Amino acid sequence: MRHVLRVLALLLVALVVAPLAGAGSAGAATDDRPVVRVGTEGTYPPFSFHDSDTDDLTGYDVEVIKAVAEKAGWRLQFVETTFDAIFAALDADRIDVVANQVTDNPERQARYGLSDTYTYSRGVIVVKKGTTGITSLADLEGKTTAQSLTTNYAELAREAGAKVEGVEGFAQAAALVVQGRVDALINDNLAALDYLNTTGSDAIEITGDAGDEVSQQKLAFRKDDTALLQQANEALAALKADGTLAKISEKYFKIDVSTENSGEADLSGGRAVRSDADIVKDAAWPMLQKLLIATIPITVVSFALGLVLAVAAALANISGSRVLRGIARTYISIIRGTPLLVQLFIVFYGLPEIGIDLPPWPSAILALSLNVGGYAAEIVRSAILSVPKGQFEAAATIGMGYWQSLRRIVFPQAARTAVPPLSNTLISLLKDTSLLSVVLVTELFRQAQIAASAAQVFFPLYLLAALYYWVVCAALAAGQGRIETRLNRFVAR
Amino acid sequence: MTDPTAPLVDVRGLAKAFGDNHVLRGVDFAVDRGTTTVLLGPSGSGKTTVLRSLNVLETPDAGVVRIGDVEVDFGALPQRRRDVRERTARLRAQSGMVFQSHNLFPHKTVLENVIEGPVQVQGRPNDEAVADARELLEQVGLAEKADQHPFELSGGQQQRVGIARALALRPKVVLFDEPTSALDPELVGEVLAVIKDLATQGWTTVIVTHEIRFAEQVADQVLFLDEGVIVERGSSAQVIGDPTQERTRQFLQRILDPG
Repeated sequence: MRHVLRVLALLLVALVVAPLAGAGSAGAATDDRPVVRVGTEGTYPPFSFHDSDTDDLTGYDVEVIKAVAEKAGWRLQFVETTFDAIFAALDADRIDVVANQVTDNPERQARYGLSDTYTYSRGVIVVKKGTTGITSLADLEGKTTAQSLTTNYAELAREAGAKVEGVEGFAQAAALVVQGRVDALINDNLAALDYLNTTGSDAIEITGDAGDEVSQQKLAFRKDDTALLQQANEALAALKADGTLAKISEKYFKIDVSTENSGEADLSGGRAVRSDADIVKDAAWPMLQKLLIATIPITVVSFALGLVLAVAAALANISGSRVLRGIARTYISIIRGTPLLVQLFIVFYGLPEIGIDLPPWPSAILALSLNVGGYAAEIVRSAILSVPKGQFEAAATIGMGYWQSLRRIVFPQAARTAVPPLSNTLISLLKDTSLLSVVLVTELFRQAQIAASAAQVFFPLYLLAALYYWVVCAALAAGQGRIETRLNRFVAR
Repeated sequence: MTDPTAPLVDVRGLAKAFGDNHVLRGVDFAVDRGTTTVLLGPSGSGKTTVLRSLNVLETPDAGVVRIGDVEVDFGALPQRRRDVRERTARLRAQSGMVFQSHNLFPHKTVLENVIEGPVQVQGRPNDEAVADARELLEQVGLAEKADQHPFELSGGQQQRVGIARALALRPKVVLFDEPTSALDPELVGEVLAVIKDLATQGWTTVIVTHEIRFAEQVADQVLFLDEGVIVERGSSAQVIGDPTQERTRQFLQRILDPG
């Protein structure tokens, strides 16, 4: 027990100190440039993705915003999240700008501060090879397409009368098309070409344009952030003038997509087709790192805090005070009656609106701790009640008070009953951390998504993620067995 | 207020009801220092409630309990919960309790069970408490079991550890709540022998039991309860040997001659 506590304490210290140390080194250089937080997917090649060799964030949009920052005198901080969470993050002041091929449309013009255009492209319709009859928006009526729900392309598909299935990014959408689960997808011509190029796939094909309009992609700021917007536009103008933008574009697309009517893009010189073995080999270490520095520490800390909450709620629930009982029961009922995903969104995107603005990690830990606390409270309560009444009385007759008898007599015995169900809770918690990408925490599964989208390959990477989770869960189950043996040694069998 | 000749335990007007069920309806008695008092009575007569009231495992509705120089008037408890707890804790500290089903702490060794109260509650030094505990275990004949866990012991041995645990607190009075009722018949003797031993060593004890023959041998005072009142009281020779009340006679007959 004491060892476990010590390890927990060390982990807590490490968690608190590590980000501080990171912040310290970043701020060590006397740098008074303003920090600008950039929201981007990190899973949308060739615009925003992780290089499979170095694991560094790169891509056309990433290089453009870096160039803009250079000119504007900003210090950048990249925040990676799914596209569907990006505008929520911008609204909640978790990022300052979106650099992720945000297509100009009237709704966004009304709501956000959009910069000058840095990409001209067109939307295309992509179908499974051999599909006939879907070559234009009009053909999509009654069909199903796969899109990120908050994109401009999803809007186009809806307007054309298509049913839209929500996905987390282009690569997933492409997979659904290949698998025949949806009829088509609409996306940027450049993204589609990149997919064809990197996968070497001939399973899908581009059959037509999504409308005649050229779409214009821009940086998006909060509406009231006019200073940043102005600096960005000045920077973009300068970058166009000095040819930097054209150079970045040509690196990825062989043409200058930052000007209109630049011709057909050619992505054949981009990232090479890689074998599944190479893809897995390259992703294995970054994923293991995320398991060790994010998934496991978050699980451990959330579980420890959750247990404290659970014990408090359980004691309140069996206490003589009606008020305490009411509070405990309401808490337990709310936690058990709402999805974890909703709880995460409330903590991360909801609380900032009432002034409680926690960074990703604390938000994740808060939401998970509250969740574990609600579930474990009932386990702890029934475990305490499983200790015979005579034990409470015996503790009382030797003069122990409430807390002392709980600590020395009741909890050690309740632990026997509580350990198996609590182990289940812990194992569930570990797996639930895979939801944390929605609150901008890059953990194991998010890392798998990043690798999968860069490579446009899912199956081996998801298998690898599953394998990592399974290994840790198996280790936890083994640990559970040992603890149970320990706790059972005082009981006649 | 301590008068050496005054009774060690003084109970006046003890009353307790669970809802409409009036378990105790005015119980008065006194226990002299160094004596053994046995509470007899049919089940539901209230004898266990009397015993548990002395230790405040039950809180009487009314009545005064005094042990040594600690007195609590249950009819006039203070308003604040914390004050109540403080007073009842002081009264509780005057006695040790031996339960029907020993209630030993299963996760602690025999020795740890015995020193738990002295070390954790009374704050006595570990070494001293351990030496004391070993002596007590010797006395109840379990010195060699000190490092075993309760589940490794027989029922009679467990109950003897329970007695050692109660004695370790150095209470003024030791309370026994049917200490042999849960035991197999062949194990009863060893426990009664230990209790009898205590009487000769000058411990003051109050015992609830159905062992009439045992009561006859050890009791200085026998109280016969029925329906929440003391029906008959006196020496064991009087109450058990020559009862004057019809209810007492019927009870004794049922117990001694169940056929």
